Amino acid sequence: MTYPRLVARNLLRHPLRTVLTTTSIALSIFLVCAVLTLPGALDAILAHWSSDVRITVHHKAGLTYWLPYAFLAKLRNLPHVAAVNHYSWFGGIYDEPKNMFPNFAVDPETVAQMWPDYGIDPGALERFRKVRNAALVGEQTMSKFGWRIGQEITLKGTVFPVDLTFQIVGVIPAASGNPVVLWFNYRYLSEAMEPRFGTALAGPTGVVGMIWLRADSPAHVGEIMRTVDELFRNSEAEVAAETEKSFIQSFTSTFEGLIHVILAVGFLVVLAVVLIAANTSAMGVRERLPEIAVLKSLGFRRRPILAVLLAESTLQGLVGGLLGAGAAWIILGALNRAGKTAGGAFLGPLGSFHMSPTVAAEGVAVALAVGLVAGAVPAWNGARLNVVEALRRLF
Amino acid sequence: MIEVRDVSRVYQRGVDLVHALEHVTLHIPAGRFVALMGPSGSGKSTLLNLLAGLDRPDTGEVVVAGQPLSRLDEDGLAAWRARHVGLVFQFYNLLPVLSAVENVELPLLLTTLARAERRRRAEIALAAVGLADRARHRPQQLSGGEQQRVAIARAIVTDPDLLVADEPTGDLDARSAVEVLTLLRELNRAFDKTVVMVTHDPRAERFVDEVMRLDKGVLVDGGRP
Repeated sequence: MTYPRLVARNLLRHPLRTVLTTTSIALSIFLVCAVLTLPGALDAILAHWSSDVRITVHHKAGLTYWLPYAFLAKLRNLPHVAAVNHYSWFGGIYDEPKNMFPNFAVDPETVAQMWPDYGIDPGALERFRKVRNAALVGEQTMSKFGWRIGQEITLKGTVFPVDLTFQIVGVIPAASGNPVVLWFNYRYLSEAMEPRFGTALAGPTGVVGMIWLRADSPAHVGEIMRTVDELFRNSEAEVAAETEKSFIQSFTSTFEGLIHVILAVGFLVVLAVVLIAANTSAMGVRERLPEIAVLKSLGFRRRPILAVLLAESTLQGLVGGLLGAGAAWIILGALNRAGKTAGGAFLGPLGSFHMSPTVAAEGVAVALAVGLVAGAVPAWNGARLNVVEALRRLF
Repeated sequence: MIEVRDVSRVYQRGVDLVHALEHVTLHIPAGRFVALMGPSGSGKSTLLNLLAGLDRPDTGEVVVAGQPLSRLDEDGLAAWRARHVGLVFQFYNLLPVLSAVENVELPLLLTTLARAERRRRAEIALAAVGLADRARHRPQQLSGGEQQRVAIARAIVTDPDLLVADEPTGDLDARSAVEVLTLLRELNRAFDKTVVMVTHDPRAERFVDEVMRLDKGVLVDGGRP
């Protein structure tokens, strides 16, 4: 007989109760780990999709305002600008309205220079430059619609009132690039719209949605942004230049408030589990008051009794924590791996969850704290039991 | 061995004061087997608690094996009990999650003995009460008499100077009661243990050296030096 054995035997006294309490702790820790992963997931999205040398330039009044096509030439001549491209939102729908996804007209000539980190096959880039109606499609979108390379698809324009047929010439890998986007040649859009507008979009009087710049070094990003802002100050279209990360953050910041709410809910869940575990622990100690009285009468002092009772609840917390954090590690890891595959589109943001060892350790630490806090008061009450009073009352 | 000098003990029960013991003085020499008898509420268990170091008198002094118990604080009393007193209760009070031998081994957790030695001594104590073959059984797998014998083994495993038993036959059938009384008598004789037992059982008188009677908190018979 040893103290650890005594602790283990006490925990197994009511196996169902122990299993249920441990499971409730494990589930809450699973949730805590998932919740703690959320801010990291957002950062991961930002890190995944943003580069430290890409800059966006858009109309100061907002993204729905167009920029003159002529700005492109001015920007190409700025010092430390390695590449220039542009984005124009086509708003194309595939087959039916629910199938809206991000599709942009871009300049195929500088895609390779602007997004070298996307890992697009050079052959596909070459075809993208040469084929007038070529399209590059994110891996998840390919999978979502069951498209294949070489297939022709038609998108119904919503921003531009024209239906365009594209030939898919390559895939943007999900692991390294934007997995949902479709890019096509801006000149193809321009030609399609010229009869309606009476002028080429890709011409001196044309417009683009926003402009991408690539700096030759991260050290020059700040200087380029200041120069761009200054260059078009008081022009017909004042611009705002910002880093790609900041640009994406302006979209994800919408979710930050939601994340705070989710974190608060996670905290409340932990609090609820503490109360449940404390109630269970108190019930367990109350049931064992006669035994505690006997132990004290045998000569056990407060400290070993307190230690045994606390060890029970803490061990339960630890096991629950390890189970919860372990399950979160396995499940979130599997989701993360699945999210990077072609078929992972259906996972949405879930596929971006990446649980770090720190989060796992935090989850286990929370579980330990749950066990300790839940057991503290019942254990203290049990340890300071007046043995004579207890013996008189109980026997 | 045991000196009780002018001891009184008063309890608060609700708004009432209960005079459980009033100016009790007694002497029990070492190696005696003594029964404390008397009607319910006479103060027998209160006196037993004082002798076992579980409780303190309001006035007077209790000295056991030369140790004035009033000079010990709560932890000191606990340590003293662990070393010098073996306790047997009416309802055995074994831990249901432990086997018989583990229950017996429990008080040895408070010693510095190695694990193997603790187990060896527990097995010897179980053998001494005739339950060597029931060592791995849980309390619920044992009869009342067997459970009480395990409790007695637990009480003697630390080789205490004093065995105190509170109604040890109160929950047993006649045969088991006689077995337990016989066992206590044998332990008293074979190992020269001082045994103090609270009992209502008239059969106990045949087994003990002396009967002390209490009534309304006053010692009315026995215990004189």
